[in-house]
Amino acid sequence: MTTLHVISHSPFGDNRLASCLRLLGTDDAILLCGDAVYALRAGTAPQQLLQTARLQHRLFALAEDAQARAIDSTLAEAVDYPAFVELSLRFDKVNSWL
Amino acid sequence: MNALTVGEHHIALDKDGFLLDLQDWSPAVAEALAEREGIALSPEHWEVLEVLRGFYQEYQLSPATRPLIKYTALKLGVEKGNSPHLNRLFNGTPAKLAAKLAGLPKPTNCI
Amino acid sequence: MAKSLLIISRQAPWSGPSAREALDIALAGGAFDLPLGMLFMDDGVFQLAAAQQPASLQLKDLAANLQALPMFGVEKLFVCAHSVAERGLDPASLSLPVEVLDDAALAALIGRYDQVVTL
Repeated sequence: MTTLHVISHSPFGDNRLASCLRLLGTDDAILLCGDAVYALRAGTAPQQLLQTARLQHRLFALAEDAQARAIDSTLAEAVDYPAFVELSLRFDKVNSWL
Repeated sequence: MNALTVGEHHIALDKDGFLLDLQDWSPAVAEALAEREGIALSPEHWEVLEVLRGFYQEYQLSPATRPLIKYTALKLGVEKGNSPHLNRLFNGTPAKLAAKLAGLPKPTNCI
Repeated sequence: MAKSLLIISRQAPWSGPSAREALDIALAGGAFDLPLGMLFMDDGVFQLAAAQQPASLQLKDLAANLQALPMFGVEKLFVCAHSVAERGLDPASLSLPVEVLDDAALAALIGRYDQVVTL
């Protein structure tokens, strides 16, 4: 079964993102929202980690959270709320990293 | 406030009749609490109350019904650790009532 | 058939409410006979360290409460090998009977459950 992992905490404050990448299944995806979008800042260690993970079409970021934080990255596919809902339905389950 | 008088001691209870201070428990207190519920404690009751006090000692919480049955079966055997036996002894609500008489906190995961 | 739920507990035991909340979900679900699993990872593995003495903190004894999981019917208990090694814990001396899983096995584990929540 496929899982969409939703992360909302900054990767500079804890290791949710790193842990999530360790246990990510091959058909799983990650959606970054809130402060988690800081992981997409160019030239940072979390961004390196995401690049190395090669998550083509499996990495998403909530557009308005990215815009609000001046994050402009092509690494993640930007999604709005309707697309977020559509994503949640496309996967068998959603794992929120609270 | 809800209270119980045992000999010369006044013992504080919460609104559901559970001890406010678990240190207040004694066999005499258990007898008095049982009387309020219309139960005369028999040896069969006492062995279950002892099991419950052991459970609390070990895990620091009160069991819901399923763990109560499982733990009682482990300690006293399946002829004692089963739902009909415990329901008969404790008016159909063993987890809640037996915890009350044994001087344990109110179980939280209980219907 | 009730949906299966995997609870991932990844916070240390004595600093905040997360570890307690994860355990409360597990105990409540177990009491209602839900098919549950619990995975300890990241700082959550510290919950399973032996010989903790929380009495001085005046908190409810989470370590003792965790021991009740099998009694509540929660017997599928897992721990992340990477997290245990990273924190210098010996997997053989953890306080609960847990299955130690590597990263690939964790991905497969999560895949098997109908629902997952991470606290």
